[in-house]
Amino acid sequence: MTTREVMITDTLVTLADTMVRDFDVVEFLSLLSTRCVDLFGAGEAGLMLADESGRMHLTASSSHEMRLLELLELQHDEGPCPDAFRTAMPVLCDDLSAAADRWPTFAPEAVAAGFQSAHALPMRLRDEVIGALNLMSTHAGPLPPDDVAVAQALADVATIGILQHRAAQESKLVKEQLTYALNSRISIEQAKGVVAHQLSLNMDEAFKALREYSRHHNQRLIRTANDIVERTLDAADLG
Amino acid sequence: MDPQRLADLVQQLEHDRSNGTQVGARLCETCVEILDVTGAGIMLMSEGEHRGTFGVSNDVISVVEDLQFTLGEGPCIDAFTSDQPVCEPDLRNPAAVRWPAFSGPAVEAGVRAVFGFPLESGTTRLGALDLYLDEPGELRPDQMSDAVALAKVISDTVLALQADASPGALAPELDASLHNRAVVHQASGMLSSRLNIGVRDALSRIRAYAYSDSRPINDVARDIVLRRLTLD
Repeated sequence: MTTREVMITDTLVTLADTMVRDFDVVEFLSLLSTRCVDLFGAGEAGLMLADESGRMHLTASSSHEMRLLELLELQHDEGPCPDAFRTAMPVLCDDLSAAADRWPTFAPEAVAAGFQSAHALPMRLRDEVIGALNLMSTHAGPLPPDDVAVAQALADVATIGILQHRAAQESKLVKEQLTYALNSRISIEQAKGVVAHQLSLNMDEAFKALREYSRHHNQRLIRTANDIVERTLDAADLG
Repeated sequence: MDPQRLADLVQQLEHDRSNGTQVGARLCETCVEILDVTGAGIMLMSEGEHRGTFGVSNDVISVVEDLQFTLGEGPCIDAFTSDQPVCEPDLRNPAAVRWPAFSGPAVEAGVRAVFGFPLESGTTRLGALDLYLDEPGELRPDQMSDAVALAKVISDTVLALQADASPGALAPELDASLHNRAVVHQASGMLSSRLNIGVRDALSRIRAYAYSDSRPINDVARDIVLRRLTLD
């Protein structure tokens, strides 16, 4: 293997490794950005992820230099990243000084910051595009096809990691919500019984008392119910 | 089980969910068909307790569910707590008596063989699937693995239903499963207050009373709530 191939393989392995351990999206993407600079001779690299409305946000970059950050953040809806995100295709610009028509705000700012070429690879998995990988270079000129392929592969690997992490988080959340909701439901019924007995009410009246107390004290019904069941709150105090 | 069959089932469930068909009942009917058993039921559980029945395929399995809810013992309870499938091929002549209170009434209701499979996702336990046969018998290895696959589909369905729920609330279909047991929890609350004991103890006492009086636990609970019955 060539040195470059070793570096690519190592990057993929390192990326895969970070996905298995405690996953930190920013750390993961920062690593990817840094590796991209090494692999493609890019001056800088950045990663942008889209929010629910499709607006891009800078999530990681190869350096924290103010000019770079500002330039990357400029791309919330114009620039190589938004274009790559929208089209789900690589966007390659060899000469930023000729790109003012394409990106009237971004291109001149990029040139002023010292960059001459900019490329973006979509972060995608099947039908889903979640963001883009941005490579900025201080020289003009194309990104060689091999580099485009490798950069796309890295972007794809990053996408898998992020989507898996999101799915796991959502799943975990749903399970927690199910357990919580199940136990709350039962606790509320138990609390109705306690209140009904203590205040000689029927179940509807008991429920009303619990709700009114919760509203009045600005706390959740489940909290009131738990307190009643655990006897840290007396039904007489429901007033 | 044919992967296509499984895919069709999942698709059918999606369809049901969107048009409000009783998902729980359909899951149970599917289990009966695919596994070739006499009946199937789905139990939701938390904190080691049977909380509600998500679906049943026939009246006999309703009795099985009710017995387990009342007695706090049975194949589903064991499957849930041990996190393993539980098999009893002959309830009338078991190799070892596992459920002294459950067995007699279950056999009387028409249950000869009974099986429980845990419902879970990752480390979260959701409940159990129970299956029965009206004749003694074992489940073949292919039935066992199909049951495990169906248990996974059921677990995923329960979570998918909950994923669409408003935060803090149970999904409507799951809430409906708990709804008819609400009276039991209300009664537990009342009794716990009257006797100054914890709600778990109160539930135990209500269960014991229902069992010794041979009455459905919901009826006993209703009497307590309506103040027609006072337990010590």
